[in-house]
Amino acid sequence: MTAPDLTQVSEYVWDLPAAGGMRVPGRVYADRQLMQEVRSDQSLVQVANVAHLPGILRYSMAMPDIHFGYGFPIGGVAAFSVEEGVVSPGGVGYDINCGCRLVATNLQADDVRGRIKRLVDQLFRDIPSGVGASGAIEKLSRKELEKVLVRGAAWAVERGYGSKEDLEHTEDRGALPGADPGAVGERAYARGQDQVGTLGSGNHFLEIQTVDQVFDAAAAAAYGLREGQVTIMVHCGSRGFGYQVCEDSLETMASASRRYGIELPDRQLACAPVTSPEGRRYLAAMACAANYAWANRQMIMHLIEQALLRALRLSPKDLGLRLVYDVAHNIAKLETHEVAGASVDACVHRKGATRAFGPGRPEVPARYRETGQPVLIPGDMGTASFVCKGTAEAMIQTFGSTCHGAGRLMSRSQALKRAKGRSIDRELESAGVLVRSQSDKTLAEEMPEAYKDVERVVAVMDGAGISPRVARLRPLGVVKG
Amino acid sequence: MGEQPRRWDPGARDEAYAELGHPADLFVEVWGEDLPALFENALFALYDQMAELEGFGTERAETIEVSGQSPEVALRSLLAEALYRFATEGFVAARAELDVSAAPEGRVRATARLHGETIDRRRHTLLAEVKAVTYHRLAIERAPEGGWRATVLFDV
Repeated sequence: MTAPDLTQVSEYVWDLPAAGGMRVPGRVYADRQLMQEVRSDQSLVQVANVAHLPGILRYSMAMPDIHFGYGFPIGGVAAFSVEEGVVSPGGVGYDINCGCRLVATNLQADDVRGRIKRLVDQLFRDIPSGVGASGAIEKLSRKELEKVLVRGAAWAVERGYGSKEDLEHTEDRGALPGADPGAVGERAYARGQDQVGTLGSGNHFLEIQTVDQVFDAAAAAAYGLREGQVTIMVHCGSRGFGYQVCEDSLETMASASRRYGIELPDRQLACAPVTSPEGRRYLAAMACAANYAWANRQMIMHLIEQALLRALRLSPKDLGLRLVYDVAHNIAKLETHEVAGASVDACVHRKGATRAFGPGRPEVPARYRETGQPVLIPGDMGTASFVCKGTAEAMIQTFGSTCHGAGRLMSRSQALKRAKGRSIDRELESAGVLVRSQSDKTLAEEMPEAYKDVERVVAVMDGAGISPRVARLRPLGVVKG
Repeated sequence: MGEQPRRWDPGARDEAYAELGHPADLFVEVWGEDLPALFENALFALYDQMAELEGFGTERAETIEVSGQSPEVALRSLLAEALYRFATEGFVAARAELDVSAAPEGRVRATARLHGETIDRRRHTLLAEVKAVTYHRLAIERAPEGGWRATVLFDV
């Protein structure tokens, strides 16, 4: 397969004309250099493949952090009409509601100088991380786990792990509607019972950061961010529970695609009509996994607060831990969007993409509604992460979506080769970032140069008017799984 | 199977499998002189990526039996089941004996007798979290140099 022909529409926008069985064109956001990197793998073919699926609206889209996934590319956005379109587990991925949470504090970087090691060590001790991490709280009974699946973050808050205000500042208030515990298989329950409040491994992390640059003072003020402030960022998802929900859905979806006569250019795109029993069942199970992830990040935030209070010997009031926002970046959601002047019910798949709703949308919390939704874009552990804001332009162009991170540039084995004979943690330390990791291998695989330049990725979405930068967050300390 | 089964030797992994480049996930090519050897080496690859196998004993025995409409589907099911037991029971195998045979209606049946140990975090080193064994680029074919080759993508 060769990469399909691209037409450059504007500085940051490239189109793949509809060809063959494509029902709509493809659209990729990138600058010239990122486009070079995108062309080096098969992800453009995947953008074209997604455009074959029934009921797809406007474009099969890709963000600048796009890379090759299974079926759908990572960094892909595809909206399907609820009436005529499909839902596909491959458009969400295994780590359902993998996402990002940003927590602000009352502290300034000066307050923690010289104490980063103590903080990182405490966080590393208190928040279970690494392969198969478990045991943050006692094993949940079946009945209790079902409550997690339906209530999401509210489950944790009701048990004293956080406040009602946290729910206000979580996408979908930390619980997708329509979650049906009966749609989830036994295996997911077995994997999920002891992983609430755990970080996991791979690219998941927990970071102590400082706001090192503010680009948009008004938006930063609305989000409660100021220069020099200490923030904490968490990146993780639904753990083994979500992986199993995805796994269990794939066979059902493969036979559903055949039953409904959906022609697939790649069987990884297996899907079912949104309104079919199979489609509804997947969405009901996926919502359970999404809610599990929100409960997980809520629980982790509580563990962070406990760890910081202990390490810094501060009162909760002085620490002032506060949730800025929590976003999902692997999810399919039912949303209303304007398409060709009409309001359309759509099933929007974001796989490695972040919702970026603009001002005025009812889904954006009241406090941020005039500004637009906070968008959290984690970078690699040596560089920076970004807070951006959703815009009206995003609503018009991308179904209110933007990028989700730096995106990998190197394979894990390439990264390991590059890291041979080097000490990644020492390199990072001399760059001012203290790292603790369960595994040297993971650390090497996740080293900064294995990722695309997050500044570039964010600049594209800023330049395209989709999600302008609000603030940059520089890492001080990192906990890796 | 003939000869006595032996422990997997991570020092000789290059004879069993190799990593192919993939930007985000773990994509491996596995070899075997016959289907049982191929399936065994695929299990070796999975466990070898998840844990430092040298530290694991072989006292605990587990049997996995799967079947699929093709060798590929049977292989994926076998690996997915091994991953599930790793995730829920902390079981890591350090060697295995494999049986792969034709089943009725063109199906392929695989039986793996695994010998390993439950993870003890004080003694054992875990390396990577494999989220899933995907269908992506899943293939089994005869190798031009003889024997069989398979490609499997693990989501990590």
